[in-house]
Amino acid sequence: MANRAMKKQWETQEMDFKTFMSLMVVLIPMLLICAQFAKISIIEIKLPEGRGSQTVKKVAKPPKQDDSNKLLLTAIITDSVVTLGAKGGFLPSVFYKEYHRYVDKDNKAIDFTVPYDPSKQEPPKHPVSGRPMEIFERYDIYLYACTQDYSEVIKCLYNKMGVMVTDANSLPVSEPVNVGDTIFELTNPRKMVVVEDPSQYEIKQLSVYDNLKNNLLNVKERFKDAEDADAIIIAAENQVLYDKIIQIMDAAREADFPSISIAKLRI
Amino acid sequence: MIKRGRVNKKKMSYHINITSMMDMMTIILVFLLKNYSSDPTTLTNVDNLVLPNSISKKPPKEVHLQIAVTNDMILVDDQPISPTNDVRRIPQENPDPEIPKLKEKLEYCYAQEEEMVKMGALNKIRGKVVVQLDKNIEFDVLYKVMHTCGKVGFNNMNFAVMEREG
Repeated sequence: MANRAMKKQWETQEMDFKTFMSLMVVLIPMLLICAQFAKISIIEIKLPEGRGSQTVKKVAKPPKQDDSNKLLLTAIITDSVVTLGAKGGFLPSVFYKEYHRYVDKDNKAIDFTVPYDPSKQEPPKHPVSGRPMEIFERYDIYLYACTQDYSEVIKCLYNKMGVMVTDANSLPVSEPVNVGDTIFELTNPRKMVVVEDPSQYEIKQLSVYDNLKNNLLNVKERFKDAEDADAIIIAAENQVLYDKIIQIMDAAREADFPSISIAKLRI
Repeated sequence: MIKRGRVNKKKMSYHINITSMMDMMTIILVFLLKNYSSDPTTLTNVDNLVLPNSISKKPPKEVHLQIAVTNDMILVDDQPISPTNDVRRIPQENPDPEIPKLKEKLEYCYAQEEEMVKMGALNKIRGKVVVQLDKNIEFDVLYKVMHTCGKVGFNNMNFAVMEREG
């Protein structure tokens, strides 16, 4: 008898989760509806008050010609070239080849990158069904730096995170590294790294945006005390796609040029 | 012994063990709560518009005016204003390229904002506009839209972009 009484004492009582479950069943769909999976953010652009586009409310002070230590840094993009210019002169132009990455709208596994040929107007064919790809299926546009005659794409060393690697003179590294080499990763500020495992680095096509960011960081270091040290003008040709302009803005902001204006390239 | 066991079995009520399910639910709940944003998106989405990806993390603030440019239409506050092809037809050499219908609409909005300043609802004219452009729009259209905004007095421009994941 005593044994039985003990047994009864230790009988487990199960918690009644039913009410909690019904709460969950309501809460989870509600939160699912409200959840944001893709976040929209903004980039601030200020129309220059003194120069560039004319607005109704200004023209109080016309821009002075040439008596300050303004840098007037300008990133120029056309349909084949990206370059940096300032009041003093221009950096050599970087020629680029364009590669487009397409992702199938129904099957995300179909994901391919094709070189873009500006002379050919038609979009690439779907690898399975053979239909032409829609324009909104173009997921990314990659611009790879190439030699002046467009014959080959310039290669550069990247780390596993996709960050470009430069040497001490901030030039892109184009050969594989060995253990003990000192390299600089293209973050802001640059990070010095001593190579421990060369397999962590791979040679890939040099992206024009990374190259531009590298140059912008150099400019930033050298012209710290210019009057407009945080300003950059992006000048583009008419047919340049908006996506490329946004990528250049990203490179500019990563290199600490937050005040971005836009100009039109007239030929 | 055997008999007693049978009797016991009949009396026992079965419970589904939902403890593991509860664990799962709790994790989902926490994840969704983390993703939950109390302020509703101030930007409305337009069909056929793919925003470019960017590293920008700046959240959109309260805005008054939205311009959306898709491949075939320019919309102001979700009202179709002018076909994009009309904009493309404006000659590129024109040093003062403005979009007549867009300008008309923007001037109306600007006047509204001025009215609000007069009534004291706003401190000063902010001239703020959020531009959503499809990522395959060419610079020419962007420039003409920006130029028109600038002429009317909307000098403070924001571009909407999609935050890059990771």
